Amino acid sequence: MNSLIVLPIVLPLLGAFLLPLLMRLSVGLGVWVGPAILIYDGWLLAEQWFSGTALPFSLAIGGFAPPLGINLYIDALALLFAFSVQLLGLLFWPFRLDQESARRQSLMLLLVASSTGLALSGDLFNLYVFYELVAVATFGLIAVSATGAAYAATLRYLILSGIGSVLTLLGIALIYGQTGTLNLAHLAQLAPHQLNDTLGLTAFLLILIGVGVKAELFPVNTWVPEVYATASSRLSAFLAGLVSKLALLIILRLLVLVFYQPEALQVMLVLGILGVVSGELAAWRAKDVRRMLAFSSIGQLGMIFIALAMPDGAGLLAVLALAFHHLVIKSGLFSLADGWGGAIDQLRGAAKASPLAAALFVLFALSLIGFPPLPGFWAKFTLITELASQTSPLYLIGLTVFLLATVVEASYLFRLVATLYEKSPDETEPAETPKPAGLSLVTASLFGLGLLATTLFIAPVGDLLSHVSAQTGNVNLYIDTVMAGQTGGSR
Amino acid sequence: MIPLPNPELILFTTALGLVAIGLAGLALSRHLFRTVLALVIAEAGANLMLVLAGYRWDAVAPILTHLGEQPPMVDPVPQAMVLTAIVIGVGVQALAVSILIRIRQLYGTLERSTVAEKMSAEIAASAGTARDISQEAPLGERPLPPLPGAISEARGGKS
Repeated sequence: MNSLIVLPIVLPLLGAFLLPLLMRLSVGLGVWVGPAILIYDGWLLAEQWFSGTALPFSLAIGGFAPPLGINLYIDALALLFAFSVQLLGLLFWPFRLDQESARRQSLMLLLVASSTGLALSGDLFNLYVFYELVAVATFGLIAVSATGAAYAATLRYLILSGIGSVLTLLGIALIYGQTGTLNLAHLAQLAPHQLNDTLGLTAFLLILIGVGVKAELFPVNTWVPEVYATASSRLSAFLAGLVSKLALLIILRLLVLVFYQPEALQVMLVLGILGVVSGELAAWRAKDVRRMLAFSSIGQLGMIFIALAMPDGAGLLAVLALAFHHLVIKSGLFSLADGWGGAIDQLRGAAKASPLAAALFVLFALSLIGFPPLPGFWAKFTLITELASQTSPLYLIGLTVFLLATVVEASYLFRLVATLYEKSPDETEPAETPKPAGLSLVTASLFGLGLLATTLFIAPVGDLLSHVSAQTGNVNLYIDTVMAGQTGGSR
Repeated sequence: MIPLPNPELILFTTALGLVAIGLAGLALSRHLFRTVLALVIAEAGANLMLVLAGYRWDAVAPILTHLGEQPPMVDPVPQAMVLTAIVIGVGVQALAVSILIRIRQLYGTLERSTVAEKMSAEIAASAGTARDISQEAPLGERPLPPLPGAISEARGGKS
């Protein structure tokens, strides 16, 4: 039963390579393969969640016990992320009934497979391989737009991502040279003795910068605005909403399990603060919706890094709350940007043309800023209380920056809201205002509904998240599950 | 004869040196093809580093398992990882070169600053916004005020 959990990785991967052939045989059949796989995988993961299997459990791949073999580690957090991958993959699926979309669909399946792998894998090198697969699938999906700007943006992303993978490999080499293992649980056992020094810190910083390319960490995020401005909005929603969080998940796992030196936390705090400042100010300056959202996403990820930098796992709950909140909000906002992607000035009076979209935008904006009853408030509130209880001055700087950034955020988001509801100066041609496409509007409405439902059931959701964060922060549980629970795979 | 330093030291220096050369090339080269080449060099350095992480000088290749007395073996795991990393690297590089070809076809150049310029112009045009400030063509170029009367007369213009 438990071993079925590999299917969410295997099936999309298989589908990705078989789909082009299948499309050649029969287009009518081929277009349903991808969604069917995603629905089945989503159902499988949901069943795993509700079936009462003892979480977390570990699955040894190929029957080799964990310190030697590769294992999948499935806890509540990994399941949540893996399920989000299937769900968002389905919501942002490139639906189109023709031969041309075969390429897009098989790349999307590849992206889903590797993202699920990122969520579930418990081996550092395996994570690296999935990370590169995500990168390659993403390059393909951006370049499919086939404009000059898309190619140039892809190349910039590719080169930054290449630098990232070189640095990650160096970090992996340092860790392997020191400990002789890359299994996360085994590393967690060895780390207090073998990686608690300058070498361990260097390795962590190399991996932090390397993986940070996709997590939109401050110095290596220059690809973000170009890529989100040239790729299709639905792809941007998937990237900004989910892939950045998965990269964050790698950093979180490494930080919790292997590297918890105060220096590592400080570097991350400073990079997070710089990310918030640069992202929010650039978003304030941006003149078109997509780049505004892209820069705002950098700022939001910076906030999550600030939360992640809190000592003793104090910020874990805030990290998860902010991450899942941002996942919902940014996906919704980018679906709205599908059709509203142009300059902000062109959106004058757009609320009249599509009142639902404008209402959704206001809802997302309010939650992003942290307006009280909405989930965004609770996420930010958790972070603020945790930050305020820290004594080190650096955290207080972080708190100040965080609050100021919220003001800046409110300023640019409400500027856009004001533009949306402004009366257009010449009433003669109201048909000019752009409208979000129907499918994306439905997607955005789903995210809006999800947000409202979370607002109503904020107490159970909060309990769930604190349970998940406690489970994630429990290093001994991780080690015990992986090193002793080798029977999990054979059952 | 100059005594040779420890070969391990030479190899580690080489690995880090390759990475440094690659990163410097990424930062400094003005042509996009050279940027990709620099990436190739940096990746070679990282791969060498990974091989070195598990290498033992007194050991044999890990495939020779049926010798009489078992000598120590080189750790095979990093070598398997390096194979994977090389394959991934080659794939990404091929993708990079094919994207370079497309950029060259569409923009007619691979000069880094020109491509960046054209890209931001295209993004701004498709979004319908004014372009950002750029190195090549500064914004805010306004019509100049007319020349002062005296100079204008001296040059034979109408007063």
